[in-house]
Amino acid sequence: MIPELFITAILVLLGGALLSFALSSRDERTVRTVALGSAIIASVFLAALSLFTLLTGQNFVFTVYQPFPYLAISFFIDRLAAFFLLLIAIIGGCVAVYTVEYFEHLGGGARRNHLCAFGNLFILAMVLVVSSATTISFLLFWELMAASSFFLVMYEYTREETRKAGVFYFIMTQLSTLFVMLGIFALYVQTGSFAIAPLTAAGSPLITAAFLALFVGFAIKAGIIPFHKWLPYAHPASPSPISALLSGVMLKIAVYGLIRFLLDVFQPDIWWGVLILAAGTTSAVLGIIYALKEHDVKAMLAYSSIENVGIVFVGIGLSIILSAANLPLLATISLLGALFHALNHALFKALLFLTSGSVVHATHTRDIEHMGGLAHRMPWTSGLFFVGAVSISALPPFNGFASELMIFSAFFSSVAVVDPLLKVLLFISLALFALTSALSMACFVKAFGSIFLALPRSSESEKAHEVSEMMLIGPGILAAACILLGLFSYKIFFLVGYPAVIPDMLLIGILLLVMAALTYAFLYFFASREVRVSETWGCGIHSQQPATEYTGHGFSEPIDIIFSAIYRTRTKNERTFFDRANCIFAEGTGEIRLMKVFEEYLYLPLARFAVWAAESISRFQNGCLDTYLLYVFVAVVAVIIFLGWYA
Amino acid sequence: MTDMASIEGIIKILFVVVIIAAAYIISTRNILSLVSVYSLQSLTLAAIALALWIADGKIVLLEIAIVTIASKVLIIPYFIATIQERIRIKRDIEFHYLNPTTSLLVSMVMMLVIYFALSRILPTAPGTPSLLFFGAVIGISLMLMGMMVTFSRKRAITKVMGYLSMENGVLFFGMFVTELPLIIEFLIIIDLIILVLLTTILAVGIDSTLEEYHNRLHRFHLWEDKEDAS
Repeated sequence: MIPELFITAILVLLGGALLSFALSSRDERTVRTVALGSAIIASVFLAALSLFTLLTGQNFVFTVYQPFPYLAISFFIDRLAAFFLLLIAIIGGCVAVYTVEYFEHLGGGARRNHLCAFGNLFILAMVLVVSSATTISFLLFWELMAASSFFLVMYEYTREETRKAGVFYFIMTQLSTLFVMLGIFALYVQTGSFAIAPLTAAGSPLITAAFLALFVGFAIKAGIIPFHKWLPYAHPASPSPISALLSGVMLKIAVYGLIRFLLDVFQPDIWWGVLILAAGTTSAVLGIIYALKEHDVKAMLAYSSIENVGIVFVGIGLSIILSAANLPLLATISLLGALFHALNHALFKALLFLTSGSVVHATHTRDIEHMGGLAHRMPWTSGLFFVGAVSISALPPFNGFASELMIFSAFFSSVAVVDPLLKVLLFISLALFALTSALSMACFVKAFGSIFLALPRSSESEKAHEVSEMMLIGPGILAAACILLGLFSYKIFFLVGYPAVIPDMLLIGILLLVMAALTYAFLYFFASREVRVSETWGCGIHSQQPATEYTGHGFSEPIDIIFSAIYRTRTKNERTFFDRANCIFAEGTGEIRLMKVFEEYLYLPLARFAVWAAESISRFQNGCLDTYLLYVFVAVVAVIIFLGWYA
Repeated sequence: MTDMASIEGIIKILFVVVIIAAAYIISTRNILSLVSVYSLQSLTLAAIALALWIADGKIVLLEIAIVTIASKVLIIPYFIATIQERIRIKRDIEFHYLNPTTSLLVSMVMMLVIYFALSRILPTAPGTPSLLFFGAVIGISLMLMGMMVTFSRKRAITKVMGYLSMENGVLFFGMFVTELPLIIEFLIIIDLIILVLLTTILAVGIDSTLEEYHNRLHRFHLWEDKEDAS
C-alpha cells in the first residue's frame, strides 16, 4: 500500500506542475489553485505514509523504472526518510495553503503559474531526494532540487538585487552539487556501486576525502558558516512562501543527506564529529550575532536559519563524538535532538517566514524600523508570529525548547567523555551554544517588538490590515504544530519507541499555566485597582511621536557594542576646523560601514583566484598554430610514455 | 626465392637513409635542399616497399611503391619546386620553441624513449629485435620528427614539408606494423596533393592580383619581399 501511496503522491505533484506549465499562458486563479491543491493533496498522502512508516518502523524498497540492469530508479523509505518526508509534507502543505491566497496578491501575471509549477517541482525533487535508494538518483534529484529552486528565487528577476541574489545562489548551489558529486564518485570508486550501503573497508584516505566532499556539499546547502552567504541574499529576494520552503525544508534536506551518509555509509571517526561540531557551533553563534544586526526582517530570519542549522549540526557532531566515546544512549539523545530540532526549526521558521510575508505584504517594506504598531492592525498574524518567535527563542513549553533541551542534556551528561582535550572542546561548545540561545531570544524580542508593538513608524504600517483566512490557516497549522510538538514531545518519543529521552513537557506546560493563572489571580485580587491616566515622559516633547520610540537599532545597540569585534564595524569620521585649536567646526563627513567579513576575506579572494586561474589557463589558447601543434606533440609523446610504462 | 638475409640487410641500410633524411629535414636551414631531401626520403620508402614486396610477394606493397613514387617523388616535389621558384625565400632561420640543434637532440632522446616504450608493448622475439619492431620505432619517430618540424618552423613552406615527412612516417609504420589498406594510403596521398596544391595556389596563383592578399601571405610567412639577412 505504501509504495502505491507514494507513487500517487509523486504523480499528483507532477501532474500539478505539468498542468500549470501547460496552462502557463492563462493568468487564471483556477489554474494556480488546482496546482497548489495538488501539492496539498500530495502532502496529505505523504504525511499519511510517513506517519505509518514512523510508527510501525517498517522499511519499504521498491523499483519504479529500470532501463538498464545496473541502473534503476528505485526508492527506499525507512524511518529516517519517513521523518524527513513528514517534514516536507507538513511544511509543503501549509505553505501551499498559504500560497493559494498569497500568489493572488503578487505581481507578475501569468508568470505566477510558473511559480506554482516550479514550486511543485521543487517539493517533488525534495521528496525524491529523501526517498532515493541509490547515490546516483540522490545526486540526480539533488540537482533537480537545485535547479527548480533557482527559478523560484529568480521570480522577481526585474529587480537588480534579485538578479544578484539569483546568480549568487546559483553558483553556491552548483558548488554544493559539485562537492556532493565528487563525494559520491569517490564512494563509487571505493565500493564499485552506487548503493547506499555500509562501507566494508574503513580508514582509507579515499573514504575520508569522500566524507569531506560530502560534508562541504551538504554544508553549502545547509548554509553552514563560512558557506552561508547565499542565504541572506536569496531569502529576501524570493517571495515569502519560497523563503519558507528554502529555509524550512531545503536546508533540512542537506541535514538529511549528512545524517543518511553518516549513519548508513560511513563509520565516522571521532574527528569527523569534532569537525561537524565546530562547524555547527561557529554557525550557531555567528549566525545569531549577524541576525541581531539585521533590520531586513527576511534577512534576519535567514541568519537565524543559519543559527538553527548550526544547532542541528551541533547535535549531529555531538552524537558522533559520544558514540565514538562509547556512550550510545547519549549519542542517541543527541541525534534525536538534532532531528527533532530540524523538524521544529522547519515548523517555526516556515511559520515566521509566512507571517512576515503577510507583514511585508501589508506594509510594503522589509525594514523592521518602518513597521511597528501591527499588533492592533493584524492581531491574528501577530499572534502567530508570536508563537513562532517564542518557539524559536526556545522558551518552555514550546517545541524549540524541547529539542534544544535534548541537545543540552546530552552536553551536560558528556562529562563522562574521558579525553581531556575533547572535554574542553565540549565545554567551550556548550558555553557558545548557551550564548546562542540567549542571543536568539534577544533577537526575536527585538523583531517582535519592532514589528508589532508601539506606534506605526510609517504610513504604510498605519494603513496595514489583517490578511485573509487562507493566509492565516497555513501558518495557523504550523503554530498549532509548534505548541503541540512541544507539549506532547514526551508522548511522541514514547510512541516512536524512544522513552525517557526528554522530560514530560506537558507537566511543565501545565505548571507554567497554573503559575500564570495564580499570578494573574493574585494581582487580580490583591493589586491596587486605581486607574491613573498620564503620558510617558517624552523628553519634553509635547505629543508622543513614533520617532521617539525605542527602535530595533536601539535595542540591539548594546549587543552590537559587545560584539563589535566580530561585526568589524568601521567608523570613519573626518572633520575640518576653521581655527588651529580645532574649536570652530567647518565641515566633516562621517560614515559607519559594516564590513562583510566573509565576503571580503573569503568569497572575493576565492573569486579573484578563480578568475586568475581561468586567465592563466586561457593563456594556453593563444591563437598560434605552432603552439597547438606543440600541444599535440606533447600529448602524443605523453601517450607513448604512458603506454610503455603504465598501461 | 631471393636471399632473405640480404634483403633484410638492404632494408636496414635503407632505414638509416630514411633517418638521415629526417634528421636533415629537421635541422637544415636551407629551404631549397629540403624538397630534394624529401623526395629522396620518399624514394627510399618506395625502395623499402619494393624490397618487402620481393621478400613477401604481397602485391599491395608493389602498389604502394608505385603510388609513392608517382606522388611523393614526382608530383608533390614538382609543385613545391614551383612555389620555391616564385617565392624568394631560400633560408629558414626563424624558429619556435626549438632550434635545429635542440630538435636533433630531442629527436634522439625521443627515439630512445619510443624504442623502450615499444619494447614493452610489442611482442618481440627474445634476442634480436625483428625488422617489424625497428620499422615501428622508426615510423613513429619519423611521425614525431615531422611534427616537430611543423611546430618549430615559422615558415609555412617548411611546415608543409614537416607535414609531408610526417605522412611518410605514417606510411612507414603502416608498411611494417598494421598493413594500411591501399585505399587509405591513396586517400592520404590525395590529401597531401591537395594540401600542396593549395599552398601553391596561395603562393603563386592569387597574389598577383590582390594587394591585401599579399599582406596575408606575409603574415603566414608564405611570402617575403626580400631575402632574409642571415
